[in-house]
Amino acid sequence: MKRWIGVGLALLLGGAVVVAIVLGGGGNGDEGDAKGLTTVRGVIGSEKKPFFDDPQVQAAFAKHGLRVEVDTAGSRQIATSVDLGKYDFAFPSSVPAAEKIKQDRKAARTFSPFYSPMAIATFEPIADVLTKAGVVHDSGSGYQVLDVKKYLDMVGKGTRWDSLPGNTAYPARKRVLLTTTDVRTSNSAAMYLAITSYVANGDDVVNSSAQTAKVAETISPLFLDQGYSESSSEAPFEDYLAMGAGKTPMVVIYEAQYASHLFAGDGAIRPDMRLLYPSPTVLSKHTLVPFNDNAAEVGRLLQEDPEFARLETRYGFRTADPKVFAGLVASSKAGIPGSLVDVVEPPTYEHLERLISTIEQRYLASGKPSS
Amino acid sequence: MIRFTGRRIAAALLTVLVATTAAACSGDDGQPVAQDGPDVLRVLAGSEVKDLEPLLKEAAGAVGVQVALTYTGTLDGAEMVASGGADGHYDATWFSSNRYLSLIDGAPARLSTQTKVMVSPVLLGLKSSKAHALGWDTKQVTWADIAAAAREKKFTFGMTNPASSNSGFSALVGVTAALSDAGEALDKTQIAAATPKLKEFFSAQTLTAGSSGWLADAYAKQESVDGLINYESVLLGLEGRVKEPLTIIYPSDGVVTADYPLTLLASSAKKDLYGKLATWLRTPDIQRKIMTTTFRRPIVPEVRPDQRFGSAQLVELPFPNRRSAADELISAYLNQVRRPSRTLFVLDTSGSMGGDRIASLKQALSTLTGADTSASGQFSRFRDRETVTLLPFSSHPGVPRTFTVPETSPDPVLREIRSYGDSLVAEGGTAIYDSLRAAYDTVALQPSDGDFTSIVLMTDGENTDGSSYDDFAAYYGTTPKNVRTFVVLFGDSDVEEMGKVAALTGGATFDAREGSLSSAFKEIRGYQ
Repeated sequence: MKRWIGVGLALLLGGAVVVAIVLGGGGNGDEGDAKGLTTVRGVIGSEKKPFFDDPQVQAAFAKHGLRVEVDTAGSRQIATSVDLGKYDFAFPSSVPAAEKIKQDRKAARTFSPFYSPMAIATFEPIADVLTKAGVVHDSGSGYQVLDVKKYLDMVGKGTRWDSLPGNTAYPARKRVLLTTTDVRTSNSAAMYLAITSYVANGDDVVNSSAQTAKVAETISPLFLDQGYSESSSEAPFEDYLAMGAGKTPMVVIYEAQYASHLFAGDGAIRPDMRLLYPSPTVLSKHTLVPFNDNAAEVGRLLQEDPEFARLETRYGFRTADPKVFAGLVASSKAGIPGSLVDVVEPPTYEHLERLISTIEQRYLASGKPSS
Repeated sequence: MIRFTGRRIAAALLTVLVATTAAACSGDDGQPVAQDGPDVLRVLAGSEVKDLEPLLKEAAGAVGVQVALTYTGTLDGAEMVASGGADGHYDATWFSSNRYLSLIDGAPARLSTQTKVMVSPVLLGLKSSKAHALGWDTKQVTWADIAAAAREKKFTFGMTNPASSNSGFSALVGVTAALSDAGEALDKTQIAAATPKLKEFFSAQTLTAGSSGWLADAYAKQESVDGLINYESVLLGLEGRVKEPLTIIYPSDGVVTADYPLTLLASSAKKDLYGKLATWLRTPDIQRKIMTTTFRRPIVPEVRPDQRFGSAQLVELPFPNRRSAADELISAYLNQVRRPSRTLFVLDTSGSMGGDRIASLKQALSTLTGADTSASGQFSRFRDRETVTLLPFSSHPGVPRTFTVPETSPDPVLREIRSYGDSLVAEGGTAIYDSLRAAYDTVALQPSDGDFTSIVLMTDGENTDGSSYDDFAAYYGTTPKNVRTFVVLFGDSDVEEMGKVAALTGGATFDAREGSLSSAFKEIRGYQ
């Protein structure tokens, strides 16, 4: 099955290459086109696609003689099964995946132009119910946090929504579980795994096989008991925005997904919607791994050029200079904190991958996992 | 890199070549599939999206995409995509949900971008007088309340077959999740534990169908049941077509919702064309049109559902995340939960059936005895508790032979049916109506006790012996008129007259003249 994923993805990704050949472009990425632009090709996490498709972003690259073409794939796939030989750079959504690629490809350096903390999109009545249950509280710094330790305790007891005291807002029979994407394919779920494994490991980053096995017992049900979960980060957030609390009372997202709607002022975020932060949270650090000089220039522009920083922030990403993000928060009156206190590091690629594999095996087992 | 590029080009060339082959397949309206072309997006779809055809025609003018839809059943479509059978023939899929499909090994790699287009929950619609009598028009109702009323025989309903149609499958998942009282995704243990409650619930199901659209049509024609479990969109769409309006029940313990993801196949080279169509479908104007013309809820937050959709909060029930659980649920429903079927096959064994045709018939019967080991094959076999009567005919009706598949260990009886089928010999004339009448007489002799009773008529030519269609129509008028005949067109069938038989009895015709007889038999199983 793994092999098929590889071939299927390669076929998909090959599409862009065929088009390029038909148009007379080269496959090496360093040949000029009609406008004298140098084409640089990358494989990126899907949540950055709208950014690269933005005409203003394309125009900004053109000023520097570059045209950037991207294909999308899950960060885990970029690190494992995508044929990177066809690309000039990889741009996964997390440091662990980028580190693996850097090692495999012996890349000299990486660029981390922007990042986004993991967050939880929910609704005011739900946040109130969870506050009463002691799982959500005010951080004291202008935003609400979800206490991951208390949340894990609640899940461990199999708590259902309708058993929460004083819950008239959401009396569902189903279990209290954060909605995530499929941890086997999606980076946002892997980042959530990084958070929950840290807490389940006694507030420490998982760094041994023994810890992996033990921690997997506690955190597998967070994923498996949800039932079917979607493969891309956009899908459950879209359900949240369109269908509301009935379908998706709380969903793990990148802060950028929520912030970009607030900054755009498009009305998608309605007055009863709330953004919480898990405590602790992790940062999804979008990290570009260049395989040649042109790609390094793309990375450098994204990281250092103020025009790019401004564009990146519009998509809800935080950049090196916090003032840019803060300025947009202030001008759009978006209630988003300037900085977060309780941030931890994800496990290394090797340990994160081992955790995911352990959970994957439980999907394959026909019996019910421990919960 | 060169290897993959080469492979991609080969696939693209194949597309052009298979367009001719694909023309031999047909949509369910008998129209050949559109030829491939640079502006054509070939979409393998569930029949649920048929009501979007008028809107999709606008896509040609608006964004230059011609959409060629080919319809298939839920499981058949899922199996085709997962096995790679759709690659090269289609660019995209459009089923009411990708959930079952995504659980099949190998399927996720065949799929590329997925774009949700609209939303519709599966709900119960009940005649307003019945809903009022049960008090369900004014208070919150749970699936458990509905199950209790079903057990007490207070109402009847129709639902599609979960193995053929997504609305039936979604309803089955929802009802099981609610009745099992599980807070998490269903597994085998929970399904087994919920089976007795499911039996009570589904004792009220007296109408079945292979597709949501057919179920709604059958209901609108006869209103022979008190309500339907179907998509909200279908239930809302029945307004104005039925004598008595339906009250839509929004169970407070949860529902399963279809989200209609238009999905690019990884093998397709038409990524741009797909992108144009997907983006266009999600523009506010088109979302509003979808809402007002097809009664589905919009997926984009800019367009809010209007007041027709009610204000009830719809709690989504967890959906299984393992294929084994999904298959176990369908199997339990077919073999243990639902009312048993009584099925009569009126089979033409006249001289013209000799050679390949009788061989096809034997194979088709063998398929239904479990010889087809695919999931769709297993779900279309003669079910545990089913009574099967084979009535071969030529110049005269033959002697009907009845088999009852037992509740446990069905294999010996299935083998008997297979060997009986294998013993059929083709010779003589074609006494269609004498034989069909004999089938109805057989039904009359065996009171049904609420089983799903239906007749399949398979003939490869015109009526040559015995009574005429008009004689049969007059006879049919004297029967209770509650047994449908599903007609299989084969060989040189008299298409017009066979259509009349189906219309008279409330059945349908299935065309096996160009496709395989086995496929037609499998498809009919959804209606039995």
